[in-house]
Amino acid sequence: MTLNRRQFLTHSCQLGVALPTVASGLLSLGSMREAAAAVSSDYKALVCILLAGGNDSYNMLVPTDSDQYAGYQRIRADLALPREQLLPVALANTDSRQFGLHPGMTALQRLINDGDAAMIANIGTLVEPYDAIAVNEGRQRLPVGLFSHADQIQQWQTAVVDNRTAIGWAGRLADQMQNTRPSNGVSMNISLSGTNVFQSGRTVAPYSIRNNGSGAVAINEYDSQEPFGLNRRRAFESIFRDTRSNLLAEEYRSRMRGAIDQQIVFAEAMANASDLSDSINTANPLSLALAQIARVISVSDALGATRQTFFVTVGGWDHHDEVLANQARMLPTVAEGLADFAAVLKQMNAFNAVTTFTISDFGRTMTSNGRGSDHGWGGHHVVMGGDVAGSRLLGAFPLLDGPSPLDVGRGVYIPTTGIDSYFADLALWYGVPPAELDIILPNIGRFYDPSSGVSPLGLFA
Amino acid sequence: MNLSRITCELKNACITTFAILLVACGGSGGNDDINTPPPVANPPAPPPISLEARNEAALLANQATFGMPWETLEDMARQGRADWLESQFARPVTYHRPTIVDIVRRRDAGEFDAFEDDIEYLIFARRLAWWHNTVIADDTLRQRVAFALSQIFVVSDNVDVLEVYPNALGGYYDMLLDNAFGNYRDLLRDVTYSPAMGVYLSHLNNAKADPGLGTFPDENYAREVMQLFSIGLFELNEDGSRKRDSNGDAIPTYDNTDIGEFAKVFTGFSFGGPGAVFGNNTEPNFSVPMQLFDEAHSPGEKQLLRGVSIPDGLTATQDVEAAIDNLFNHPNVGPFLGRLLIQRLVTSNPSPAYVARVSRAFADNGLGVRGDMKAVIRAILLDPEATNPPDAFTGGKLTEPVVRYVSMLRRFGARSDDGFIAALGYFLQIETLQHPLSSRSVFNFYLPDHQPSGAIADAGLYAPELQIIDANTVISWANFIDAIFFGDVVTDAPAGFNEVTLEPTRWLALTDTPSVLVDELNTLITAGTASQATLDAVVTSISEFPQPELRLALAVYYLSIAPEGVHSQ
Repeated sequence: MTLNRRQFLTHSCQLGVALPTVASGLLSLGSMREAAAAVSSDYKALVCILLAGGNDSYNMLVPTDSDQYAGYQRIRADLALPREQLLPVALANTDSRQFGLHPGMTALQRLINDGDAAMIANIGTLVEPYDAIAVNEGRQRLPVGLFSHADQIQQWQTAVVDNRTAIGWAGRLADQMQNTRPSNGVSMNISLSGTNVFQSGRTVAPYSIRNNGSGAVAINEYDSQEPFGLNRRRAFESIFRDTRSNLLAEEYRSRMRGAIDQQIVFAEAMANASDLSDSINTANPLSLALAQIARVISVSDALGATRQTFFVTVGGWDHHDEVLANQARMLPTVAEGLADFAAVLKQMNAFNAVTTFTISDFGRTMTSNGRGSDHGWGGHHVVMGGDVAGSRLLGAFPLLDGPSPLDVGRGVYIPTTGIDSYFADLALWYGVPPAELDIILPNIGRFYDPSSGVSPLGLFA
Repeated sequence: MNLSRITCELKNACITTFAILLVACGGSGGNDDINTPPPVANPPAPPPISLEARNEAALLANQATFGMPWETLEDMARQGRADWLESQFARPVTYHRPTIVDIVRRRDAGEFDAFEDDIEYLIFARRLAWWHNTVIADDTLRQRVAFALSQIFVVSDNVDVLEVYPNALGGYYDMLLDNAFGNYRDLLRDVTYSPAMGVYLSHLNNAKADPGLGTFPDENYAREVMQLFSIGLFELNEDGSRKRDSNGDAIPTYDNTDIGEFAKVFTGFSFGGPGAVFGNNTEPNFSVPMQLFDEAHSPGEKQLLRGVSIPDGLTATQDVEAAIDNLFNHPNVGPFLGRLLIQRLVTSNPSPAYVARVSRAFADNGLGVRGDMKAVIRAILLDPEATNPPDAFTGGKLTEPVVRYVSMLRRFGARSDDGFIAALGYFLQIETLQHPLSSRSVFNFYLPDHQPSGAIADAGLYAPELQIIDANTVISWANFIDAIFFGDVVTDAPAGFNEVTLEPTRWLALTDTPSVLVDELNTLITAGTASQATLDAVVTSISEFPQPELRLALAVYYLSIAPEGVHSQ
């Protein structure tokens, strides 16, 4: 029944058919769309940073109380970070439990202590809420392809963990918000890392840009008024005009056609974006990507966008080997990239309009394989933004001072918070009406009652 | 870039090439030796070749080669698919490592003196070898299959050690070339023992559990060898469809317990060679397979898949061989590997019947042998779905950027003064997100199950290559082709190597008649599939300019970026 209703609604929405009784929710999304088009002060953006490969986040945030640290040290063995090197963070709501950040993340320490960022503990892919009894009796339903990169990295983007789908939750957002809007063709979903699942909807695809210049690549000579340029435009118009019958060839054709048209709009808007390179560390690729995102946000008015999502991948976190050395090199770039981004957004007075959050394939095994760690499940994440109630640790950080029912072997921790709850908080902040959360997050009903009036995690409380 | 400069450069380039061509005429310079006429007097005139046969040969070239020049297409058309395949099977292997050794020797001799103490040319060596050999190789089918295998059994130079030791990836690629026409079991064993793979998936120096330290065997290779290299995640029928349990659910091929067992099997590997010791990670030896050290290997019984177990007390080598046998004999391998290879060569969406035919060839080559790669390749390339695509709406595949680029170089006679086709491929990699053995992860440049949302996903179809075609790269591809044919950048050769130019003499001679030029380029580049509107647009466009070089460059540019130039069917 649910599925049919959903299909029906999706189709109706694409066709622009008003459904005043059944689909009141869609109408509210529709009115949000109209409001968005008129009021740019309502602008909001979600920025998703994918740490691809599975960040060993149990070394990103570490308990520092002596009992808990001793447990941490015991299970992590040669992978344990020295306690005295951990950076103390003021997390307000941890019942006096103490935590420290990875020693390379001083920039994140500052963000958290300044109230600009919060963290979520032991979060991961769950089909249904964690239930200790169900786990004990082997009844807890497991995500599809648990521990497999391809599935887990996808589920963190789709928010559908019991099925394989290529539609991401930002794609569903954009499907709902952009379907019927008269558009300049530039997607509200903009990717600094190419094609991705997170931003792919049924009808809306991400618009890929580069982290330099206008971001949008033009066909050489395309705007030339010389004979050569005129010739080129005429030929392109003909070659890429007609729909192709083969679906693969057609998709290529429409991507070329769309890219040419969108580049013109996008580059024109970006001509007014200020150069932020003096405000960031240009040697940090994440800083560069996030600064380019800030530039796009600064011209969102000209792009006609009052809601945007952005996606950027930082790869290389699958540290079966050399996890300590690699994290010492890579975690600082994440922390410093976030800090640079916060600084430029504050300069633009846009920090409250932008929420930035991390995702990753999975956490890793707490136990060591002698050089690194293997694929795990729950892990910790960072959320940053002016609207985020910072300096807090949400979710439940497992107790490490003795055998844990959460440990399903090799120090793989069952997540105590599901990704659905995490994303629901973000979606509600973004403006999705509670009654329509399940259009964006199809399984949210298993974790959260949208009519409850409180937010699932309280990220923005 | 202005028009006069373009045409001027093109003319100069062509004058040079004409001169060289006259000297080089006779089929030398690494061209396909089919081209060399036998030394007999008055050979009989070959029978005329129909347009249909030419287009069929061009389709085969798109599926099974790195591109063929016009003359070779004619030979392929005369020969027919089956005979051409056998002739390719018989060709000697064009190995990449000798080229690497030569470049490293030249580097060590100070030939690239600006960089004498630099590791730059060590990094360049395997890239230079890949491009040169792939462009000049006569065994182009083997090279193409090895490239396909390199996208299934993925290793990458995004790992520093593999980047700076040229033998690491060079040796790996030669191993794939060796096994491309061999047996899959040998391939799986050689991949498992490969030091490059050992570094990449971290089973090199993977030690047995140490209760004192609280460490466990690394699970990385154990997982990926099953998920990506042999059987995949779910039990498959012969036709590639998933088996279902009584609830209608797909049946996982393994669980985390199985991963733990296989992780124990893959312990004890380290670099081999004289004086080898377990745990050596400071003096890599990429010239020989990894060596197994029993003292670092997990003891005890190990439970493999499908009820098979390895008894306690065997050597590490016996354990590993048993595990490889266990995977090799799993019924999934035929449909799993078959589909992946079909996707790399022929179509993104093979029918279940096509997958089943390839599975059967994997299971038995007709002589009772399982895993015969030649039988699999024959089954893939001689199948009716390869020769005569059954469905115009869903058939074929988008050609990968690397294949598109090498094909351009081979079709239009890439050459240099000393015959070395020097390219680094960084330019291509930046613009198109693909370069051989440079994937960002073990999941290759794109996933076999990538489904772009919209019409393709709605039809339940897959299009892996579209994962790297976005608003940015789709335009970059056009500009890349632009740079080759209008700029002066045929390849990104490093200092110390001769410039690579194209030698499109045959085609320049056709530019007086734009319609003939475009029709024949349509065969060469799109296997005759471009729409009439596209062909008309190209003829109209090139007729605006009198210069032969410009006409040719424009025609090649438009056909190369047209949907039919990127889609192969």
